[in-house]
Amino acid sequence: MTDLGHAPTEAERERFTAAGAASPSPRLKRAKGYLWSVLGVAVITGVGWAIRPYLDITNVALFYLLPVLVAAVRWGKGPSLLASFLGVLAFDFFFVPPVFSFSVSDVKYIFTFVIFLIVGVVTASMAARIRNELEKTRQEEKRTLALYSLSRQIAAKADLDEVLKAFAQTVAETVSGQVSIVMPGPEDEALRQVAAYPPDAVLYGDKERAVVHWVLEHGKGAGRGTETLREATELVFPVRADKVTLAALVIKLESQRDVLSSDQEQLIEAFANLAAAAIIRVRLGQEAEKAQWLAESEKLHKALLDSISHDLRTPLSSITGAVTGLLAEKNAYDDAATKVLLDTIKEGALRMDRFVANLLDMTRLQSGVLRLSREWWDVEDIVGVALREMRDTLLGHPLNVDIPAGLPLVNADFGLIEHVLINLLENAAKYSRPESPITISAHESNKSVVVIVADSSPPIPSSERQHIFDKFYRLRGPSDVGGTGLGLSICKGIVEAHGGMIWADSLPGSGNRFTFSLPVSDQPFQRQEGGEEGRHG
Amino acid sequence: MADPSAKVLVVDDEKQIRRVLETALPSHGYDVASAASGFEALNRAATFHPDLVVLDLGLPDLDGTEIIRRLREWTEVPIIVLSVREDEKDKIKALDAGADDYVTKPFSMGELLARMRVALRHATRPEAEPVLTFGDLVVDLLHRKVLLKGEELHLTPTEYEILKYLALQAGKVVTHSQVLRAVWGPNSEGETHYLRIYVASLRRKIEADHSQPSLIVTEPGVGYRLVGKE
Repeated sequence: MTDLGHAPTEAERERFTAAGAASPSPRLKRAKGYLWSVLGVAVITGVGWAIRPYLDITNVALFYLLPVLVAAVRWGKGPSLLASFLGVLAFDFFFVPPVFSFSVSDVKYIFTFVIFLIVGVVTASMAARIRNELEKTRQEEKRTLALYSLSRQIAAKADLDEVLKAFAQTVAETVSGQVSIVMPGPEDEALRQVAAYPPDAVLYGDKERAVVHWVLEHGKGAGRGTETLREATELVFPVRADKVTLAALVIKLESQRDVLSSDQEQLIEAFANLAAAAIIRVRLGQEAEKAQWLAESEKLHKALLDSISHDLRTPLSSITGAVTGLLAEKNAYDDAATKVLLDTIKEGALRMDRFVANLLDMTRLQSGVLRLSREWWDVEDIVGVALREMRDTLLGHPLNVDIPAGLPLVNADFGLIEHVLINLLENAAKYSRPESPITISAHESNKSVVVIVADSSPPIPSSERQHIFDKFYRLRGPSDVGGTGLGLSICKGIVEAHGGMIWADSLPGSGNRFTFSLPVSDQPFQRQEGGEEGRHG
Repeated sequence: MADPSAKVLVVDDEKQIRRVLETALPSHGYDVASAASGFEALNRAATFHPDLVVLDLGLPDLDGTEIIRRLREWTEVPIIVLSVREDEKDKIKALDAGADDYVTKPFSMGELLARMRVALRHATRPEAEPVLTFGDLVVDLLHRKVLLKGEELHLTPTEYEILKYLALQAGKVVTHSQVLRAVWGPNSEGETHYLRIYVASLRRKIEADHSQPSLIVTEPGVGYRLVGKE
């Protein structure tokens, strides 16, 4: 960076402004104004000439104020002044005797000329001032509107990409050119283009690297038409907040000759401030989210570890106890005692197996990789398999299964729905008295197949009912009842992944009822009840 | 102890499982050899000439399905696959590659022994008898009759075909696509929903309690098994 450039002179700035985004229309407009002034004076002269016989010529002088006023309001100071001078000249030439001569016979007309000119000049400058104010107000309004629109666009966005995209687009539309935003990456801190408008524009390559680096380092604008690296084709602005440069805004104007006006530069600076604030806001939001997530997952981990150690150790201790008992004194137990010990081992092992299955489901639900391998299934089939799986646990409980024939098939993941049923059945067996009945029923309702597992356990208080599907929530009750509090939350996760719902309510008498629904989408075919001929032998 | 001194090759990379099987199976009259890897298994199969192979699907060196395929190139020895519960797809792949049955880990010894007996019986007695009895259920293939507790059942032709196919493979798992191919023909493999409906109605006719079937048992994700009293 040998050439840090020199400050552009005022003249250069003027030239740029005139030739830049503000040109060429103002120049043309001005020329048009002068032309209209000349024309106006000519018309008044013609009209004045025509009505000359009926009026005093000093009244004609008043007519000449018309083009002065019109020019002042419409075209500004210059044309208005021109109209004044032309008016005086025309009035003198055509109306003041001697006619068709600039000489004046009566001195009193000199006063008329002077008054006229004073009125003309004052009018012109006042009108021009009003015009300028108006123009300024209009510009101001446009800027405010643009800023408002951008701030509204990015205020609602929580995603950094969206914010930057809106920012790039607004700037590009304001300066009519291509715009990109270059930022250090989140991980490796390497600079990269993170947003652009038009979206496919690439404005960050080897050529621009030096300018962008300079801008990020110094927090000042550089590139085309500025003090630094003025020969660059692009113009680069810093996006700054709290004295930190967050990003660089790279602008490539449509025409290579164009340079931004100071108004535009100011506007872009305002945009950049807005964008910087939004970037900071999004980052803070992300950090807060992350912190919350970390805190939550830490809590979760602790709860998980607690329950894992409890749920693995309980069956493990029963297994170890039984096995070491059998190994130590082989002949100390009679057949009945031996069988009890062996059954304990088996039940403990099965419980651990179910627990591992739940942990796997939990992990998959948690990480969002739970993929349903859906097939068409008869709910009765799933219930049958779950009951077979749980026969040892359910031993002693009379089972009522009430599933009507002709229920629609459900498009579901067999294994996962089986887990739901197993968890519900395990709860039913765990929380209800031994040998109390358990009912499993199903019916079709509201385009869903609804499955109900009802038991006679003590009713869950309604205040706790909404929490039982939360992770690691366990009812305060007998402490000897094992369980992670994972089961029901897994049930909820699985059922909801199928697009269904799960809820609990208490039966009027006693007992709890767990219900889940599975939506019945279009059946793959029409059920053909009795479509086939019954055969006889 | 259906087939005493039958030779069983146990293939599992986990020592614990091998030790349990090497200890338990001889007590039930089997002659056991074991292998800890896929290549070792292929070698042992060639030298030991087992009557049955118990194969773990999760071997470190060779894919279980690949071992089955290589064995099937030269032997019809029954193969029972051991696999964990979550791998339904692997089970189906293994069965399609030529495995005869599977047992889900963690398995019970009783279950494995039952599967082994069925597999050996099917291997040594390929010809089916014309009249098959499963407790109260009698399937008379000769007269196309089905009797439950001595009373004739009215089955639709499709129901009868499904029952017949399951009965001929009694005790063994049959995959959904195997039943579909056998009953509906070769192009029906995706139509499992037909199978569900017919099996449901078949159960209502032959099972004592259709919601807890004891004859046609569902093998989750894999297929069905007709359980006969041994």
